[in-house]
Amino acid sequence: MKYNRTEISDGIGFSTIIDEKFKSCLLTVKFITKLDRSTAAENVLAISALTDTSSDYNTIAAMSEILTELYGAGLSSSARKRGDLQILSVNSSWLADKYALDGEDISGEMLRIFSGCLFRPNVINGEFEAESFKINKMELIDRIDAELNNKSGYALSRAQEVAFCGEPAENSCYGFRDTAEAADAASVYAAYKRILSTSQIEAFFVAPTDDPAVEKMLRDGFSAVSRKPEICTFKSPSPLKNELMDVEEEFDVLQCQMVMAFKSDSDDIYAMRMMSLILGETPVSKLFANVREKLSLCYYCSCQLSLTKNTLFVDCGIKRSNIEKTKAEINRQINEIKNGNFSDEDIRSAVLFIQNSIEQIGDTMSSYTGWYFERFCDGKIITAEEMTEAFKNVTKKRIIAAAKSFSIDSIYIMLNKEDNNS
Amino acid sequence: MNKELISSERTGECCIHVKHKSGLDIYICEMNGFSSVEALFGTKYGSVNNLFRTAGDSEFTSVPEGIAHFLEHKLFENEDCQVFDLYAKTGASGNAFTSFDKTCYIFSSSGNYQENLRILLDFVQKPYFTQESVEKEVGIIGQEIQMTNDNPEWRVFFNMLKCMYHSHPVKTDIAGTLESIEKISAELLYKCYDTFYNLNNMVLSIAGNIKADEVLAICDEMLRPCEDKGLECVFPDEPLSIVSPEFREIQNIGASIFSLGYKCTPCSGNDKTRRTTAAAIAGELLTDPSSEMYVRLMNDGIINSTFGYEVFCGDGYFTVIFSGESESPDIVKENIVKEAERMLRDGIPEKDFRRFKKTLYASLVRELNNVEVVANVMLNAHMDGIRPFDSIDVLSELTSSDVLDFIRSELNSDRLVLSVVERKVD
Repeated sequence: MKYNRTEISDGIGFSTIIDEKFKSCLLTVKFITKLDRSTAAENVLAISALTDTSSDYNTIAAMSEILTELYGAGLSSSARKRGDLQILSVNSSWLADKYALDGEDISGEMLRIFSGCLFRPNVINGEFEAESFKINKMELIDRIDAELNNKSGYALSRAQEVAFCGEPAENSCYGFRDTAEAADAASVYAAYKRILSTSQIEAFFVAPTDDPAVEKMLRDGFSAVSRKPEICTFKSPSPLKNELMDVEEEFDVLQCQMVMAFKSDSDDIYAMRMMSLILGETPVSKLFANVREKLSLCYYCSCQLSLTKNTLFVDCGIKRSNIEKTKAEINRQINEIKNGNFSDEDIRSAVLFIQNSIEQIGDTMSSYTGWYFERFCDGKIITAEEMTEAFKNVTKKRIIAAAKSFSIDSIYIMLNKEDNNS
Repeated sequence: MNKELISSERTGECCIHVKHKSGLDIYICEMNGFSSVEALFGTKYGSVNNLFRTAGDSEFTSVPEGIAHFLEHKLFENEDCQVFDLYAKTGASGNAFTSFDKTCYIFSSSGNYQENLRILLDFVQKPYFTQESVEKEVGIIGQEIQMTNDNPEWRVFFNMLKCMYHSHPVKTDIAGTLESIEKISAELLYKCYDTFYNLNNMVLSIAGNIKADEVLAICDEMLRPCEDKGLECVFPDEPLSIVSPEFREIQNIGASIFSLGYKCTPCSGNDKTRRTTAAAIAGELLTDPSSEMYVRLMNDGIINSTFGYEVFCGDGYFTVIFSGESESPDIVKENIVKEAERMLRDGIPEKDFRRFKKTLYASLVRELNNVEVVANVMLNAHMDGIRPFDSIDVLSELTSSDVLDFIRSELNSDRLVLSVVERKVD
């Protein structure tokens, strides 16, 4: 594998990752911007407008037809939250030319299409074309509404709103229904211009062979953009509330969803992650072994750590009659770690688990982009070996200290209206 | 031990198939440049296999719904330890799944694959069930069932299957019901284990950073020869007709969803691969975003980009399903029926057929980018009675006439079921 990163303009990085084992190519451009209630929905609409149509392919039908002609090449947009930031991506992937049945230049065509999407959007008189925009806006509203279809995902989102109340991270990365409804084709085009001008941009190209045309396409396109990149803060620890906030909401559901948020003031990221692994990220962790296996309280009980917010979320799906028992057991397991009641074997397992994950980076194209993007956000490029070593060096004492740094901040519970199964 | 090299002329990919002396079929794909290893040890035993006997049994045995899935959970407990504890010592990620027609035990690792393979082969061949541990599992699986009951996608899918199938067990939830799992005992688990976890009914598929000789040496060391007991699974007679054309349910969700499924004639082996491929092209054409129908429905706000299709088939069942979010699923149904009729009347433009053939070809090639997918491709091919990479060859031989024949014979509006989970309006 060959990795190289260059700055192609002010605040724009371009990384190539060449690995001959792959049979396809992946190009992704990530725009990093501040997450804000007033702009989140417009930003998502702007980025998704880019992949629906372009000035070259000005209907969804025309765009879809050319992509299927190019062996079902993928072109999509995505949005996600990373701490207080909104990460917007334009992604494309296509079959390597070597596998084209009739010698087609798939890569050349896809670069032309990608360039059109990014730099020559489907705009008429300073606003996105009306028909495509209407569909795009409807899609976003549908996506926001559909969040409730996934109960555990919805509960986690609500728990984040509660835990990060008053901070940018309380917002959904898709924005909200009211701001999506208020957006119009002109305001979204303005958002597009703003994103291109002010966001931090990281582009990644993963392919079996290098292709200088990719860098040229990006350089040419961005050369016409007047750049004023804003400074992004990649780490923004969330302050602990003065008192525990409990939020309960009733729904017509069979299973209750509970999410507990714990906050830390530690800066020992490796020890915090080790603590999270031992507590609830693996099938031998304390939550799985005790809340699920020993007490049979749930099918899943796990945790996830947001290092950007120094917040640990523990979530589970349970019976209403078991809420207090489950809460007590989760707290008990955290206290076990605080009191040092875990073994060297637990530490070794956590290191091996993470080492296994790190060593698998590079086996998929997206794992490469994920790894290098995260290192960019961290502010330093370290190797996989260096990261593994950092985890190996975490001592029991540091894990205990990390555990002790966590305090309960808030609890969100999705309740069923009637407890028919208690 | 028969060793066979299977390769794909089109992609250059190759794998090894071995019929092991123990009775087990083994597929091995060495993938240069990859770090990880993915192994699946699977049995042809899923939620539909609830009525069976072996050559030595005079009577068929009927077991409670959800028992294959229950067994999968319990197999992770050894007599003296939890299997996850063993994987924790190597760093591997262990898991398992039960589907309608198979149960698979998996590990994924970047190192120590030989030790992980020993763990996998050992614990799957070493059941240990007690009544106490069975009772403990009821609470866990009960919550898993409730979780899926709160999942509208799951509900809309199973409601559709219930309307489609009179007797075939595909219509019942993989995990069973809160009532059926109460009937499961340690004794029944052993009965199912002894029947289905016979190596002649199983397959090992392993791909990634491995050496075939090392894998086979471990298999020689760990596999205990099994006598083929002549397993026979039967399914109740299932007519081609449907039970009911429609089912609607209201839930506390944000977006209404639908599943619109055609009940098709079941098939197996190479025939299944051909018909699955024809069905996939038909599905692509009927959900083509560049078609007049799609554009019109999208502009009218009837569908959104979640609109898509799936070919769902197995032992005794075959359906083509169109699904997505919509507040007007009846209009979607009406349009799909008309569009299928139009295709039969006007034919399929060769240009469109070629576009989707290329799309499917590329997706088959791109699957080979991924260690996990390659292991699954080999296992699924074996379970389907074909060879890995056969799908690419079948696709290359497919014609637009084959697709039209499939639409004509199988996408019959008399066998169409619409299942809807509607958003509750306050």
